[in-house]
Amino acid sequence: MSTPLPASGPAGTAPPPGGAGPRPSAVTTRLLARAGATRRRRGARVKLWVGLVCTLLVVVPVVFARLLPLPDPTEQDLSQRRLPPLTDGHLFGTDQLGRDLLSNVLHGGQMSLTIGVLAVLVSGVIGLVAGAAAGYYGGWVDSVVSRLLEAQLSLPLLMMLLLVVALFGPSIPVITCVIAVAQWPEVARLTRSLVLVEREKPYVAAARVLGLRRAEILVRHILPNVVRQATIVVFLLLAQAVLLESALSYLGAGPERPFATWGRIVSDGQDYITTSWWLVTLPGLVIVLLVVGVNLLGDGLRDRTRRQAASRRRGPSPSWRDRATRKGTVS
Amino acid sequence: MALYLLRRVGQSLLTVFLTVSTVFVLIRLAPGDPATAYAGPLATTEELARIRAELGLDRPLPEQFLVFLRGLATGDLGTSYSFQAPALDVVLDRLPFTITLAVAAILLTTAVAVPLGVWMARRADTTRELGANIVTVAGQSMPDFWSGVMLLTFFAVLLPVLPASGFATWGGLVLPATTIAILQIALISRLVRREMAANLTAPYLTVARSRGVSERALVWRYAMGNSAIPVLTALGTRFASMVNGVVVVEVVFAWPGVGSLVVRALETRDYPLIQATVLVTAALAILVQLLIDLAYPLFDPRVRLGKKAAA
Repeated sequence: MSTPLPASGPAGTAPPPGGAGPRPSAVTTRLLARAGATRRRRGARVKLWVGLVCTLLVVVPVVFARLLPLPDPTEQDLSQRRLPPLTDGHLFGTDQLGRDLLSNVLHGGQMSLTIGVLAVLVSGVIGLVAGAAAGYYGGWVDSVVSRLLEAQLSLPLLMMLLLVVALFGPSIPVITCVIAVAQWPEVARLTRSLVLVEREKPYVAAARVLGLRRAEILVRHILPNVVRQATIVVFLLLAQAVLLESALSYLGAGPERPFATWGRIVSDGQDYITTSWWLVTLPGLVIVLLVVGVNLLGDGLRDRTRRQAASRRRGPSPSWRDRATRKGTVS
Repeated sequence: MALYLLRRVGQSLLTVFLTVSTVFVLIRLAPGDPATAYAGPLATTEELARIRAELGLDRPLPEQFLVFLRGLATGDLGTSYSFQAPALDVVLDRLPFTITLAVAAILLTTAVAVPLGVWMARRADTTRELGANIVTVAGQSMPDFWSGVMLLTFFAVLLPVLPASGFATWGGLVLPATTIAILQIALISRLVRREMAANLTAPYLTVARSRGVSERALVWRYAMGNSAIPVLTALGTRFASMVNGVVVVEVVFAWPGVGSLVVRALETRDYPLIQATVLVTAALAILVQLLIDLAYPLFDPRVRLGKKAAA
């Protein structure tokens, strides 16, 4: 789809669409937009690949932690305390109790990832149901859900999470629920706006004419059309969930058994920061690598679907198609 | 307008009240006993009972709630167990530190994120912009406790130019504010980019350009004028959530603010202190939100407060 740009400066560099500097008259806005779309597609591809590599780099070792030839994460050896990385088969070195740091990070990661994935599933379900109901039924359902969304925005979130965890104990179900409750607004808001658009489409009217009940239309016809778009935020939610979990665990409100999670490892290593830099730096880098990867995946996917939606709208004769779809969504 | 204000204030008060009541019930439903935390592990059963009676914890829950409500009306939120001082005063003592930190962080965020976002919007979809984009993703992916500790290590331990913790000099503000700002800059600059990119390609801008409006005015007055509201809303929401206590960063830098207070209050099960903190921070956050909503007409004359806006 790359269109050759007529004589515009050095090869391949189109003037920025923002329009800094004089623009050759032969280049129309349309051409610029198309060049932008091509570059955007490349951008999305770069993001997807980089994201995938970063994510797998963390997820694969974490998932197969038990199969890797690593020392037991709980095995203490006080004669081998705080060994720097790359000594004696300790790739990440050892911690203040002589435990292998890499092994601890990977086993702790299993907990973090489990909690993250579970939390995203739970918040996804809550968000989908609440958002779909609010968007489809409107009226009081909508006002209740919207009020809840608003209230949660203005609440001291981390404080409340800490409160709940401090009071009910840092077990995996409690932490999962707490993170899910923190995240459902995101899904709910998106689902609500998608359903609002969807319910005005002709097929919904057709289903109603066929005599289907409202709940049936929502579950069997609208939701399947919405779920795919709504699940794009899953990656972004997972990234947030991992960050939230590590923050809770840093503050001492993370799971302790069977393994301490990433935040806890960092906070334990913090006391030795002047002498043993790796105790904080390496676990932190693992978190950053994973979250960057997941975020980039989510970003790339979102860019791609947005682009697909845009190109579908453009089609062969833009003006006509444009008007048609716009009418379809507005009416 | 007056009616609108009245309704909004009423709504806000209701939200604050519901929040505080929820917290009140929640902390009493949960397992754990403040008397044990108060008296220490060596206390006898009689001592514990005496302390419970003293603190009014032996009375039924509805009665405790009534006492709490009566106190709320007179501005008396009880005495903090661990500080032995009125809970409200303890919180209000800490509040200026949190607000200072939040203001510094939001100023830093605005100063960096807005120009960065505009730059990214003007270079939308170029290779350099892709690079900047990935950097912002990285900024948004760093756990704040980790970036805080890293900054601390570099600028206070290895290269001792800035104080590591507390708030003795203004220099002590730099590291915590930067730590908070990293995440906020990443989020806000992406928002600015999205809003500005949409406006920069809008037809009205082409019209203005063909009329000979200068490029600077196009970007900063025309496009920015139309992007202001979403950006302001986001900045306001961020600020409100910072006022709630930047718990993690305050703990990392031993900042004497509300966030570190909460962590301590939770550890000692200091009921009055927890309630006072939640009350003050929730009220403050909601107040900030309200002020932002009221400021909309200043930035967009089309907005009429009180008219049913697009929700």
